[in-house]
Amino acid sequence: MRLQSLAIWASLVSVAAIGDARGHHSFAMFDTEHPIELTGTVKEFRFVNPHSILILQVKGANGEVTEWVLEGGAPAMLVRAGMTAKSLKVGDEIIITVNPLHSGAPGGSYQPDRAKFKDGTPVAVPRD
Amino acid sequence: MAVQPCCVGSISRAPSKHGDESMPLRTIVGACALAACVIAAPVAAAPLDESKYPPFAGQWFRIGPLQVFDAAKPKGRGQEAPLTPEYQAIYEANLADQATGGFGDDPVYRCIPEGMPRAMTLVLPMEIVVTGNTTYLLMEYLSMIRRIYTDGRDFPTDQEPSWMGYSIGKWIDEDGHGRYDVLEVETRNLKNPRTFEPSGIPMHRDAQTVIKERLYLDKTNPDKLYDEITTYDHALTRPWTVVRAMRRGHNPMWIESICAEGNVHVKIGNETYMLNGDNLLMPVKKGQQPPDLSLFKQAK
Repeated sequence: MRLQSLAIWASLVSVAAIGDARGHHSFAMFDTEHPIELTGTVKEFRFVNPHSILILQVKGANGEVTEWVLEGGAPAMLVRAGMTAKSLKVGDEIIITVNPLHSGAPGGSYQPDRAKFKDGTPVAVPRD
Repeated sequence: MAVQPCCVGSISRAPSKHGDESMPLRTIVGACALAACVIAAPVAAAPLDESKYPPFAGQWFRIGPLQVFDAAKPKGRGQEAPLTPEYQAIYEANLADQATGGFGDDPVYRCIPEGMPRAMTLVLPMEIVVTGNTTYLLMEYLSMIRRIYTDGRDFPTDQEPSWMGYSIGKWIDEDGHGRYDVLEVETRNLKNPRTFEPSGIPMHRDAQTVIKERLYLDKTNPDKLYDEITTYDHALTRPWTVVRAMRRGHNPMWIESICAEGNVHVKIGNETYMLNGDNLLMPVKKGQQPPDLSLFKQAK
């Protein structure tokens, strides 16, 4: 697994703060106790039910690109959290904290409030 | 078909399927002839005299955390579900499976609706529509719909079970002020699989669950709605009562929630997997084996 470029945020991210994307089902497959930060390029953003899917291309230290599949809130949750189908487009470079799959496969879950563009601008802009 | 109010229902004790005084079951028995009480669908909405009903209509959001049935208690074992030893063991197995990345017995990841009573935990908001003979609870999440019949009918004997069950309601003027303030609801005829919440607190495999609810507005805040939910189920040692609270949405916005659209979780055999961006299977557990392909003829 090429995770060399990933900064482990376990000490920085509170487990209790993670959870709003859940609801459709148990998110037990994702390791909420060891969140990681990914920096990558958006390949695809599926604004679909029951959960949105963000496919992120992450370049490792050796230059190899790994495609991460990230499951997030349903459109109904994301819209209320300030994210729409147009919030991310192909080619956007983002930094995002995710809860990785226990299996070690390149998948995880994400929260809209833990995603930002490379310039620091938050991806989600909550509605009033 | 237009429906005339059948008759004024009375509450009487019905033979308990649970055979236990600690789990009393009541049913609404019409005072008129049974034939007149059996109402055929479809049911037309009866005009509503709004002065007689509480302002339930509108959008309602969950108050409290996700992933719990009792909003006043922590999730998982912290819910202190009064399970029988047999069903506590089933629950422990669910927790053990989830500890390794599985779903346990939670069926919702496969887009099976939450069903009752879990649906009332409101992952997403709900709209209440009150008519003179039926109150509708329209849940945004998974597009679940509850119809609560308030026309005096009795429970049918020939209906197929469903995840939301068959609900009969009765409006009560508890304060005696000439306006209804409580909607009492009894729900039966439920279908499995269901769990109370996502960690897999189980319901009995016999699906003989009976749910009684009392819906009412806060006495001082009409923008707050309560649902007292009491569940009678053979997986429980006693009826389990929780109170769920909801807040009114003042700028309703509704978003479609069709689960089958893009679900990436699949069950093959007894294992669950996740699809990647190319719809190929990914393991979700450490060391998880691929599915059994013995029915495929492999090229040599």
